[in-house]
Amino acid sequence: MAKKELQPSLKTSHIPAGTSWIGYNLSRMKSQRQLMWMSFPFIAFIAIFAYGPLWGWLMAFQNYRPGIGFMEQDWVGVDHFRTLFTDPTFLRVIRNTLAMSLISLFLGFVGSIGLALLLNELRMILFKRVVQTVSYLPHFLSWIIVTGIVANVLSTETGIVNVLLTKLGLIDAPINFFAEPKYFWGIVGLSSMWKEIGWGTIIYLAAMASINPSLYEAASIDGAGRFRKMFNVTLPSIKPTIIILLIINVGNVLNAGFEIQYLLGNGLVQDVSETIDIFVLKYGINLGNYSLATAAGIFKSVVSLVLIFIANGIAKSLGEERLI
Amino acid sequence: MMKKDVRKRIKYSALLALILVIALAGCTPGSSSKGETTADGRELKQFSAFFAVPGKIAPDDNRVLKAIEEKTGVRVTMDWLTGQTAKERIGVLIAGGEYPDFIDGSDGTQQLVAAGALVPLEDYIDKYPNIKNYLGEDWKKMKNTTDGHIYFIPQFGNIQEKSMKVTHDGEAFWIQKAVLEWDNYPTIKTLDQYFDLIERYKAAHPTVDGQPTIGFEIISYDWRYFALENPPLFMAGYPNEGAAIVDKETLTAKNYNTIPEAKAYFKKINEAYHQGLVDNETFTANYDQYISKISTGRVLGMVDQGWQFLDAEASLVKQKLYDKTYVPLSITLSEDVKGRYQNNPILNVNGGLAITKSCEDIEGALQYINDLLDPEIEVLRTWGQEGVDYQVDDKGVFSRNEEQRANSKDPDWVLANTGSPLVYFPHHEGMTADGKNALDPKEQPEEYLATLNDIDKKVLKAYGYTKFTDFLEPAEENEPWFPIYTYNFEPNKPETIARQKMDDVKRKWLPKVIMTSPAEFDKAWEEYQATLKESADIKAYEDALTEEVRRRMELWG
Repeated sequence: MAKKELQPSLKTSHIPAGTSWIGYNLSRMKSQRQLMWMSFPFIAFIAIFAYGPLWGWLMAFQNYRPGIGFMEQDWVGVDHFRTLFTDPTFLRVIRNTLAMSLISLFLGFVGSIGLALLLNELRMILFKRVVQTVSYLPHFLSWIIVTGIVANVLSTETGIVNVLLTKLGLIDAPINFFAEPKYFWGIVGLSSMWKEIGWGTIIYLAAMASINPSLYEAASIDGAGRFRKMFNVTLPSIKPTIIILLIINVGNVLNAGFEIQYLLGNGLVQDVSETIDIFVLKYGINLGNYSLATAAGIFKSVVSLVLIFIANGIAKSLGEERLI
Repeated sequence: MMKKDVRKRIKYSALLALILVIALAGCTPGSSSKGETTADGRELKQFSAFFAVPGKIAPDDNRVLKAIEEKTGVRVTMDWLTGQTAKERIGVLIAGGEYPDFIDGSDGTQQLVAAGALVPLEDYIDKYPNIKNYLGEDWKKMKNTTDGHIYFIPQFGNIQEKSMKVTHDGEAFWIQKAVLEWDNYPTIKTLDQYFDLIERYKAAHPTVDGQPTIGFEIISYDWRYFALENPPLFMAGYPNEGAAIVDKETLTAKNYNTIPEAKAYFKKINEAYHQGLVDNETFTANYDQYISKISTGRVLGMVDQGWQFLDAEASLVKQKLYDKTYVPLSITLSEDVKGRYQNNPILNVNGGLAITKSCEDIEGALQYINDLLDPEIEVLRTWGQEGVDYQVDDKGVFSRNEEQRANSKDPDWVLANTGSPLVYFPHHEGMTADGKNALDPKEQPEEYLATLNDIDKKVLKAYGYTKFTDFLEPAEENEPWFPIYTYNFEPNKPETIARQKMDDVKRKWLPKVIMTSPAEFDKAWEEYQATLKESADIKAYEDALTEEVRRRMELWG
């Protein structure tokens, strides 16, 4: 593959005899100066918008109050981190965030890949297009609308789920889904699966489109049926795509979850519905305690970074494509 | 060849320069039309204002705003909150360091004060007789608790002559007019009588328009959950202080979640819940679902602030379901406890209109506020223009005709024609300066009567009342510290964290104790109380509020 051909040229052993390492790299930079210039705006963008704001992290070590000079603030060391990790609520919201993210991640992956596999087998192009369009439309709805739909669908009086279950005789009385903590994670997982399934499918379908048809032909000659081909040709071919997406998404595990939990949650289920972001909103921003909010943000970034490295490391040890 | 190249280059550079100039011109502040004059040739002053509440921007040619512009020589461009919370938007303003001339920071007011964005006003006010007059005795209440400055002028609750209130928009137990009529207009005073009436009516009318009747609703969605948690203070006969109840003798603030009345109240609600009188979705429904349920006319009663379900009542009126609209009731645990659901309007000293340090003409801005408080302009702000929006008879009493009334009910017409957006500038309520008319046309007795429908008139007549506020005991004199909920909870203080923790516990446990089976109630209540004590520093909370009560007594009492 292309990657393999590029790699040796990066190694110092390929420096022509008689040139120093620095001299070699300088001449390379010169020969690729157009590329260097083209990348400059993006490096500047990252520096200004991604690395620049990092100095605001210092806020986590102060009792920050707006309107006073940054260096005149009152420095408190790691007090805010100590508050976070001794607060039972914070430990609970970490659990909730992780649980709901992993459920959504799992359902999202299984759902999107499954739908992509099925769509890929379809021969009726018109039907395939309609299914694809219908399934990715919810992606464009905002959560406030989606949660409104979810609330109506699950309502005890007119909700279609309760009406169906009662009519089919599966339950005696309508279930109040939002009053029972045990249903909440499932509702969140299924709602986000419904919203994002079609959108997630697009990238897998694209990956499937690039599979060499001769592989399928060869499989057919060997006597493979539809499902054999799915498992032995399609899935292995899109494995690199799956792994890259998985690594990217693992980094977002602690970020997933504010709107849906905030909009669907209520007092009765708050023990399982509150995520780190809701905690930050309640105890940080609403109480004017920006430093605590920043401390929680730092914690999230650090954990996300660790998770990415772990996922990447696993991918590496399995000899798969990886991000870093 | 060479020459052509150079020419091309010059041409492109010129073009680029031109684009840059145009782009930059668009960004220059003050590019708005300056130097406009009023009809009598004075230069028109321009100010900007931002109100951190949702609102609509009135068109520039709004008739009454134009007339006020002519009189004051000032034009104000007003901006409102859209799609963000006040705190977020104010945070952005602070980060940018550029403010509009006038600002009402709403929930973000303390942030503005802390950031030093507001101009202290105390040294200016003496020069403006209308403002000085307007603030009157309340002057001393407005000093900032930390630095003693006065940063803003409150706009709401300043009564001139006397209050003309005709409708109750605060908290109460509400009941449908149809229910009262069915039971031959009973007098309902206690919680037991209230639920008994609902139970009997519901048994007699199991459905409304084919859908099941709902006995009682308590909205508990998000920040709107106060009606779930605060009835105990009314049950015990205290006014709506919000955060705590205050003992008049000892001047101590007490958390009302632990008092015996709280237990008695929630026990009764628990009972009603298991009789099927309380909607079983009431703790999980969102605000839209709540409003849509009330709008069907099948909800018999609820405990809530009147302003929370205005949309639902408007919808009922639109459907001509007049008998499904509501009457406020003053409910307590026993007949000898007097309900204090009404209170005299209070000047909300927690916020108001401020002038920012970005304002270049502070005196001009204050002069504008002063002019707006002029009796003549105040009438213009609420009633509109004489002869166009209202008539005056020979005794000086204002009235509207049918067409003018219809216009004033149409929000689009109001936005295009009258000065209503100025409501966020300081103004009086109650009566006009000459004491002849109500300042708010809706509160003018004749106008109020004209808006009543037959059902309303029938209900009022049956009880011998003239207005719906008569259903509640008249307001008593406010205590000097009232209301304690305006206490400024500062970040990082134990009382602030305690308040949030208490909120969290109540949000979970109150629905839980109500839904638990009646036999288990006592046990669940014990557990709730224990959790409350364990997770929140209630003592720090009570101490902070007690200190504030005593401080206010000293300063304002």
